[in-house]
Amino acid sequence: MSEHKAAPMVDEVSDFEVLEMAVRELAIEKGLFSADDHRRWTEYIHTLGPLPAARLVAKAWLDPEYRKLAVKDGVKASLEVGVDWINDMPTHFGTPSDYCNLRVLEDTPKVKHVVVCTLCSCYPRPILGQSPEWYRTPNYRRRLVRWPRQVLAEFGLQLPADVEIRVADSNQKTRYIVMPVRPEGTEGWSEEQLAEIVTRDCLIGVAVPRPGVTANALRPIHPAVHPVQHDHGHDHG
Amino acid sequence: MSSSTREKVMKHLDAVGYLQPAVHKPQHAPYPDEIDHTMYRAYTRSAHDVGGEPDVPMAWEEKEEEQWELNTFATCECLAWRGVWNAEERRRRQNVDVGQTQYLGLPYYGRWLLTAARIMVDKQYVTLTELVNKIDEVKKRYE
Repeated sequence: MSEHKAAPMVDEVSDFEVLEMAVRELAIEKGLFSADDHRRWTEYIHTLGPLPAARLVAKAWLDPEYRKLAVKDGVKASLEVGVDWINDMPTHFGTPSDYCNLRVLEDTPKVKHVVVCTLCSCYPRPILGQSPEWYRTPNYRRRLVRWPRQVLAEFGLQLPADVEIRVADSNQKTRYIVMPVRPEGTEGWSEEQLAEIVTRDCLIGVAVPRPGVTANALRPIHPAVHPVQHDHGHDHG
Repeated sequence: MSSSTREKVMKHLDAVGYLQPAVHKPQHAPYPDEIDHTMYRAYTRSAHDVGGEPDVPMAWEEKEEEQWELNTFATCECLAWRGVWNAEERRRRQNVDVGQTQYLGLPYYGRWLLTAARIMVDKQYVTLTELVNKIDEVKKRYE
């Protein structure tokens, strides 16, 4: 089954894997939560991704009224792209880590927003999915608030000196997505076409959308030893 | 002590030796008059408050998620969903109570996982013995 993989590490179980199983099994045995709770939560996580946030931005580019709503009340605007911050969760009372305040940061040609969480890794998961590992690193969190222009340049985004950079520091209650400026060359595009170029990186603010670019910048990938198995039907390959 | 045990203990002590506080001094646990206001403030800041600290550029990478990492996230959320911890205590335990060495030294979800184990023991949902026995039981499945 795994004969094509490099030998030594593959069949070895890590201390984290052992502890994870022990903690989960004990929690279930003691009735702290049920196996079904855990399964439902895992399935919920698998439904998440950046697409709803991309659609929100595309919609706001096309509809000035919706744009006003998005900037004024991100949670309400989320409903129109299929994200209900309270009732979508398996809990039906919102996120268990207790946040329900989405702010949409509107870029202009002279103001660029970018998001960080200096204290931990706060991220608008319900509308943007799981955060990338680099977003969680102390390095990104340390430097972005102090040397944003340099950090953005490392991500491939070189901004002219007359563009102001505003760094939004997320916190427990408030999470952000960036609404970038609609790029030239997208005149007459449909909402779906526009959403395709609003990548996760654009929504965090470390990239800007460009016609023809529908994926995050290519970066090295640190592979998992035992990667997540998406065994719930809709595998994207 | 058998020689193999001795070897294990020495290996452990060597590894722990790498985990000393970042300010190396001939005498750890210094005299009180050796801590001035600057160092007092540095020591009493919590480890997760990293915004603005100097650091060198690094290569930005994507990371594939381990199955145990996803499971850990779900476990922590389920513990919150069912009222074992609230957001404030959870964040404090994951980000502050672990201390600087574990905060910076462990993988992101490794820190979450240790904290999940600790909340169950601290709140007396499981005893430390039950946890240790369960860990042994799980390990045996892979022997």
